[in-house]
Amino acid sequence: MSAGLFKFPKASRRDLLRAGMYGVSVSAGSALRMSLFGQAAAAMAAETGSNGKILVVLELSGGNDGLNTLIPYADDAYYKHRPNLGIPRKQVRAIDDHFGFSHGMAGFEKLYQSGKLAIVHGCGYDNPSFSHFTSMAYWHTAAPNSGEPYGWVGRLADAMAPDAPPNFLVDIDSHQSLAVRSKLHVPVVFDDPNRFTREVFAEERAVADAAVPSVKVDNPSQRYLLDIARSARSSSALVREAWAKYRSPVDYGLVSLDLPKVAALIEAGMPTRLYYTSYRNNAFDTHVFQSDVHQRLLTYASDAVSAFLTDLERIGRAGDVVVMVFSEFGRRVPENVNLGTDHGTANLMFVAGKQVKGGHYGKVPSLTDLDAGDNLIFTTDFRRVYATMIASWLGYRGTRDLLHGDFEPFDMFQRKA
Amino acid sequence: MPAPVRPVALAPATVLATAGPSAWQNDLAPIASSEWNYNFAAHLLERAGFGGTPDEIHALSTMTPAQAVARLVRFEGVDSSRLAPFDESGIHEPGLEPFPPSRPAVTDQAKETGHALGIHVKPAGNRRLQPIVNEFFYWLRASVLETHRVAYWWANRMLTSPRPLEEKIALFWHGHFASNEGKVRDYRKLLQQVQLFQRQGTGNFRSLLLAVAQDPAMLVFLDAGVNVKGASNENFAREIMELFTMGVGHYSEKDIREAARAFTGWNCVDVKFVVNRDQHDEGEKTFLGRTGAFDGGDIINIILDQPATADFIAAKIYRFFVREDLSPQLQAKLGAALRESKYEIAPLLEKIFLSRDFYSPASVGTAIKSPVELAVSTYRKLGLTAIPGVPDFNSVTGALGQQLLSPPTVAGWNSGQSWVTPGLLLERGNFARDVLFPTISFIPLDRYGSPDIRSVADRIRRGMDISEATKPDTKTGDLAESNMAADRDEDFNTRYGSYRGWQMAIERVKAIPRDTARVDLSKMVTAAKLKTTSEAIDYLIARFMRVPPSGEVRQKLVAFLDNELGTADITAAQTYMEDSLRLTLHLIMSQPEYQLA
Repeated sequence: MSAGLFKFPKASRRDLLRAGMYGVSVSAGSALRMSLFGQAAAAMAAETGSNGKILVVLELSGGNDGLNTLIPYADDAYYKHRPNLGIPRKQVRAIDDHFGFSHGMAGFEKLYQSGKLAIVHGCGYDNPSFSHFTSMAYWHTAAPNSGEPYGWVGRLADAMAPDAPPNFLVDIDSHQSLAVRSKLHVPVVFDDPNRFTREVFAEERAVADAAVPSVKVDNPSQRYLLDIARSARSSSALVREAWAKYRSPVDYGLVSLDLPKVAALIEAGMPTRLYYTSYRNNAFDTHVFQSDVHQRLLTYASDAVSAFLTDLERIGRAGDVVVMVFSEFGRRVPENVNLGTDHGTANLMFVAGKQVKGGHYGKVPSLTDLDAGDNLIFTTDFRRVYATMIASWLGYRGTRDLLHGDFEPFDMFQRKA
Repeated sequence: MPAPVRPVALAPATVLATAGPSAWQNDLAPIASSEWNYNFAAHLLERAGFGGTPDEIHALSTMTPAQAVARLVRFEGVDSSRLAPFDESGIHEPGLEPFPPSRPAVTDQAKETGHALGIHVKPAGNRRLQPIVNEFFYWLRASVLETHRVAYWWANRMLTSPRPLEEKIALFWHGHFASNEGKVRDYRKLLQQVQLFQRQGTGNFRSLLLAVAQDPAMLVFLDAGVNVKGASNENFAREIMELFTMGVGHYSEKDIREAARAFTGWNCVDVKFVVNRDQHDEGEKTFLGRTGAFDGGDIINIILDQPATADFIAAKIYRFFVREDLSPQLQAKLGAALRESKYEIAPLLEKIFLSRDFYSPASVGTAIKSPVELAVSTYRKLGLTAIPGVPDFNSVTGALGQQLLSPPTVAGWNSGQSWVTPGLLLERGNFARDVLFPTISFIPLDRYGSPDIRSVADRIRRGMDISEATKPDTKTGDLAESNMAADRDEDFNTRYGSYRGWQMAIERVKAIPRDTARVDLSKMVTAAKLKTTSEAIDYLIARFMRVPPSGEVRQKLVAFLDNELGTADITAAQTYMEDSLRLTLHLIMSQPEYQLA
């Protein structure tokens, strides 16, 4: 995704003031806004008894190298394993006397220093898979080795809102992620909001915009397509209107990871509680000549997440949103001979937001006591972080059924805004 | 079971079955000649090719099923000499090889050795490395543009080849052995790979697998080129087992490491496969229970000895050509058939296409067309003889999720229901509109440049110096780190390089012709000798859809066309009906059911 899409002309002071006021207008409710969004949001609150909190999941696909993201610069073992790829202490953005971020990650450093970033160490699961597709499917379903057909975000939507109101679950991508696959909801999946519209001529409108007939259909693919058509009809106008109105002075950097689109929908008061977005196409799969490219990927991701939180402040919803960042696995501890790293196991997760109690969570895995394949031994089941999002943040208590087991949430959020 | 589609132009006295009885599901026995009809032939052509016109379907329907299937599968005797070879722009230069992995690698090399990419560093003066950086970005862009032309060349073969299965199976293997331009960064290697899939697609899987393991695009894509003795890289070894042959669960992590050792030294120089003996690990390996001083060929043979391989490949072929859900029993039968034929693909395809299962209600009209299938079959059914330049084929299929030569990952594309989301369903209707009512303000975006590049270009032309022209637009004082990092090396300017490289690429890569589709629906409808708007709607539905919409939607379409034409009498409207028919066809192509094949 080119950053160009999100670049706007230099904002005047007046624009900034107006932009700030959009946030106010959501609650104040201009006539136009109420017409579309206000009604939808009100209906949603009634149906879900919601606490109004929003979860944004950001996937870093390809297996991010956690050791070169948050560098344990005080640990000699790190430099022993990584004689060429190890990031020298002087280049690290130190956040304490042990760890520091990769040097492009000014955004994450800032979030950490202002207490808005939780770092969860050693996240993984038993009998790890080294396959991107298998491990990602485990993270998507939160059910390793089970064949669970639905995604954890999709199941969460089903549990929180069994009436499946429209627009509860949004996945911004060119195709639907397994993570949002739901039994009851049809997730709103789109890529470019400007294209999320049926382009028709005036005379076609009555036929093109007509409700999708409810007919009994035996062909399962046809049934699926009719459901998709209904969902498209109910969400596309909302998304387009939100995007058309969105004007942000915030610089998301070169790769915005679709977070401005999420901000636009939140600003417009879309009743969505669960957003899913990703750094796509196995970008983090750095087997060869990793250092420049990996550093660049991290810079982009860190810029975008930090800008998103700034944007939420502008919108006035910073207290209602958290971003959870994960990758399907980390990378092997020793570097390979191609100046890259191979598929590994345990990894960092990040949770960012104004309500987050910043700091370190979980036990830091040892760099000397590795498994037989030279990999980190996981210390935190990743589903504990999911449980934290589900129970502590979104306020849904049935994590046990949802995650097929007991996973203790972390105490990660401020009590009151 | 879908309601019958009635091919009006060729309608016999009785309504033809669109599918056989439900009992045919999972039955691999061949269908009888007496059961063969126009609708079955249409289904066959849709799946074994990219659909066709009523005339093409009719021709197949007059054969026996065995003849029709053989006509598609055993295509070697069909003359395809009129298909043009790829028309090279001639953009590659010897100095570009070996192409460095990144811009920093190029400039480091230039600083160390005084030259890179066949260009010398300027001895003195400002931005001494700039021409090298320009050349680096030139090739990145030129290869992308030429790859778009390769995709056009291939799509035109899908549209016009008298051997549609040759292209359809190549598309299957392209998704199976996926490589993309983004990483390979060399259109020549990708072209070579597509040609391999065309040449050997219905041949022997053993030969194909070995050819892929030695294919330069694949070697680059899965880092096999850096898999060397003493330090193996597991990327290819893992994927050959997980994605290309057996699937997860049939090998261990140790098997992957051992296989990687066996493949060490397999590499490419430019567009040729080589084995670097000194980088090959000659030692003993233990792989899937067998021990020996294996090389890559041995590993492939051992993999092909595993029963899981034939089961996996047969099932994947079945899912692509027939339907997503497949019982374990049927999978076992198909796997056994592939083993029996010693991995010959054509006999398996014949068995599938002739089977009762293929014509059962579970199989007919239940596949969701991939974006490439959607576009090509739309053009075929319209009777076009060339892929239109407007809309751009690559942008359209890319926006819909399947750009040729750009599968997102080594796993290829997710298929079936994944092809359609709410956003993409609307986009598919918009594609139909762009074909039937091409925009008059079309811009070829792949040559036009991103906003960043255009901004640099404008400022350079206005007379600004490079530093001034390449400063990013700043909106606030709070500039993202990535934007601040862009211009820090005085020896060259990256933003200028990407602008200049773009310009050089446009100059040297041939342009894609931008003709719009020549559509004549009036002629089509007149030739079918239709009298009423109802008949016209039924004709369009039968010609373009494999699964008709509900009766309610059909009624709306008839009413719409009546209203547009001011009469229900098609013959009376002959002189002015073109636009109305196109609007109607756009509405038909926007239906959820249009996505089914």
